[in-house]
Amino acid sequence: MNHEGKKRIWSDYQKEIADDHFFYVRSCIRQSFFPGSEQFFLNFMRNILGKDVYENPAHTTCTGIGYHSDIVPSATIMTVIARHFALMKESGYKNIAISCVTSFGLYTEILETWKHFPEELEKTREYLYKATGREFDIPENVAHTSDIIYKFRDEIADKAKILLVNKKTGEPLKIVEHIGCHYAKMFPKSGVGGAEFPNVLSGMAEAWGGIVVDYPERRHCCGFGFRQYLVQANRGYSVSNTAKKFLSMEPYKPDMVLTNCPGCTMFMDKWQYTIHEMEGKSFGENGESIPVLTYEELAGLVLGYNPWDLGLQYHMVQSEPLLKKLGIAFEKSDKYKTKDGRQMSIPKNLINA
Amino acid sequence: MDGLYDILLNDIRFEEGLKACMNCGVCTAICPAAEFYDYDPRKIVDTVQKKDDEEIIALLKSETIWYCGECMSCKTRCPRGNTPGFIIMALRTLSQKLGYFTESEKGRQQLAIKRTVGENIFKYGYCAATYAVNPKMHPEQGPIWEYILENSDDVFERLGGQINGIGTGPLRKIPQEALDELKKIFEVTGGTEFFDLIEKHSKIKASEMGLQFNDEGTDNDYFVEVYTANNGHHNINDPKMTEDES
Amino acid sequence: MRGEVVVIGGGTAGMEAAGQLAKTGFKVTLLEKEEVAGGHLNNWYHLFPDRRNGDEVIKYLNEHIDNDNITIFKGNKIDSYRRVNEKFIIKTNTGIEITADAIIVATGFDLFKSERKEEYGYGIYDDVITSADLEMKFRSGDLKMNNGEIPGRIGFVHCVGSRDEKVGNFYCSKLCCVTAVKQAIEIRERLPDSKVFCFYMDMRMGGALYEELYMEAQEKYGVNFIRGKVSEVGESFTNTLIVKVEDTLAGRPLKIELDMLVLMAGMEISEGSIDAGEVMGLETGVNRFFKSRDNHYGSNISNIDGVFYAGTCTAPMNITETISHARAAVSDVMNYLNNLDN
Repeated sequence: MNHEGKKRIWSDYQKEIADDHFFYVRSCIRQSFFPGSEQFFLNFMRNILGKDVYENPAHTTCTGIGYHSDIVPSATIMTVIARHFALMKESGYKNIAISCVTSFGLYTEILETWKHFPEELEKTREYLYKATGREFDIPENVAHTSDIIYKFRDEIADKAKILLVNKKTGEPLKIVEHIGCHYAKMFPKSGVGGAEFPNVLSGMAEAWGGIVVDYPERRHCCGFGFRQYLVQANRGYSVSNTAKKFLSMEPYKPDMVLTNCPGCTMFMDKWQYTIHEMEGKSFGENGESIPVLTYEELAGLVLGYNPWDLGLQYHMVQSEPLLKKLGIAFEKSDKYKTKDGRQMSIPKNLINA
Repeated sequence: MDGLYDILLNDIRFEEGLKACMNCGVCTAICPAAEFYDYDPRKIVDTVQKKDDEEIIALLKSETIWYCGECMSCKTRCPRGNTPGFIIMALRTLSQKLGYFTESEKGRQQLAIKRTVGENIFKYGYCAATYAVNPKMHPEQGPIWEYILENSDDVFERLGGQINGIGTGPLRKIPQEALDELKKIFEVTGGTEFFDLIEKHSKIKASEMGLQFNDEGTDNDYFVEVYTANNGHHNINDPKMTEDES
Repeated sequence: MRGEVVVIGGGTAGMEAAGQLAKTGFKVTLLEKEEVAGGHLNNWYHLFPDRRNGDEVIKYLNEHIDNDNITIFKGNKIDSYRRVNEKFIIKTNTGIEITADAIIVATGFDLFKSERKEEYGYGIYDDVITSADLEMKFRSGDLKMNNGEIPGRIGFVHCVGSRDEKVGNFYCSKLCCVTAVKQAIEIRERLPDSKVFCFYMDMRMGGALYEELYMEAQEKYGVNFIRGKVSEVGESFTNTLIVKVEDTLAGRPLKIELDMLVLMAGMEISEGSIDAGEVMGLETGVNRFFKSRDNHYGSNISNIDGVFYAGTCTAPMNITETISHARAAVSDVMNYLNNLDN
């Protein structure tokens, strides 16, 4: 494989990413399942880089999950998103930092739609005004939070306490990067590196010392499928697609999976547990499963954060094999302690535990 | 009734999503649903572009249009600039507007989504939230999920937040004024009306099927039926039902 | 009738036009930007439909321009252009100044750059090559893969860079289907144990003896034709190519493992044409090829009086058509100069 070929493609898709004064909108799934990741992002941007990242408490879900499971109409989601633009205008922000990939895809799609169908923009202005009395402007910059971490990956590398190197073998860590479908598949120009060989996560992995594993199903959807997961009767679709990806990456023996989408992280983690329960199959080496991390969790590890402050203990697939490979010291006794040091109960039947 | 194709054209996703299809198959080639379900996005687009009302109605009542996972991998590749995923979304919206969605097992599931994700939006301002994900409805989340639920205050506090906290933070309590604005937006844009349609048609179907139906909540027979029923014939390789089974 | 004509471009069209003009008695200056005339023909091996040796056509063209009336400047392209009354004054990039009564633009085509079709992995995966690369392999006789082994399973991807909104080329490049059929046959002849697949949307066999070649590919050579545009190419753990396509006739998605994949790259207007067009102010059409004055009876006539087109700078065409088109350009030049005289 010729890596230079991929580099050439990445350079064709240079995306404008703002570098300060962000209006931050959260992800429903990440708030529930990976709250540590969102908090790392805010902490890193504000306290380490000194950036202005503003979170308006009045912002809500973008309703993207409802839209993509076809219960929320187009006009509704456009107006909900316009309301966020109105909150931006009210708080004086022109750059938006979006935590969820489906959400990012929607903001991008809606802005494109308003360009092609200006009458929809007018209708949305009327609806929002009628419902809330608010008015809005189009943001100047729309970035996903993984774009922003990508933008500052070298700053993170400079401050790195550990690099993504397997301490036992001395080899760079083998990382499978999985990009959420809605990041670049709809509008390749809105993703760093385009839709075919997106660079947002591989750029991070490589800046921090790892190498990226290319495998045949790399671009394949994790299988969230919205309604295909939300409704129990459909979950076969969801688990099958994730299984397909893991079967494809298995021979390459990756050390971890890195994702930038809330659903993807959750599914690549949880379905390994389900598949193990259903079929006794694991995709890692020695009967282990492969740890799945968000980019904030990985950045946090690189910067020397305590893995238990990042929330790695709250995945189904535990990360200890990865932490050992990276030579990261961790306190087993600290894993399930509260913030003020009280011991919590220990969860049972986790994977890799 | 106005030609269905013309009604579809009013949906901008349809207008954006269908120019003309030359049946090349790149969409089906990488469609996750096409691998596991008896589903072929190319065939659906080709059917719709015929503008035949009978065929479109058949689609709206079928299981087929509910197989797509809206990943949009089809949009990246289509050489004619179509997006089968957008066409599916337009078909699903129309199917619900016309009440045809209750004719198919997969279509009936829309009530389940409305009662979970839809209600969450109004109640909490989130599509999904820890306290709204019931482990019994989600065994695949594994033992860690029940653990997190039982210990959520401690878990969140350690990770830098406070569930239902005032102000900012993960899973903060969304202020009532914001929830009110969200509700108004749904009313003004037809979102509430759409939710009501899903309820109305589902209620009628529940009565037809002889299943107990509550006007809200997840612990009624019709909800459980649509949430869990799978006749096992959604994959092309499954054997057809015999006379005895049906 | 006497006159001086400049022919810009020394490929098939340019050489043919220059030869015909010279035979008729015109003085011709032929400009060719490369160090060798012949254009793309230099890189082809055997030509469809009858699979004759391309070198024979090059020989014909070289003999054609071996004429005292023709002056060739290789390594030269048009750098500046101005019109003084009815004379054209051209300067080349090396400083040569030429005066002419008429100009024939025969600047030809470039092949679509297949790297732009990122999902096919050209320039990334080892054994993904273009049809042009394969012709060079036929010329050298070395059909081995990157790892030195003989390929067992070879695929041809039709419509790479053509009929594709995603790369901005809506048109059909016309010649790729018959080229794929020809190359599939040539592979089967040289590698009798191979299995060959052509992945097509349509089989565009619109030329004399093309359809017969397609039938021969199936009947005599056992080439497999699968109706589906290739969606994505990946590389497996064992370095084979994994191709995703729908077999649209069977209505099923297909994942097929191959050793080598040949991309049938389409035709685009050449960069040389774009440069010359900018210098001279030539109009291009929606598909970026030069725009002819009339689609039916003026295909050699440009938007500038006295400037004519020959060959693939106006549209995809095969060698037969290119040579005819070049002769037609000469006819238009003669009419033009005749009118000037009167």
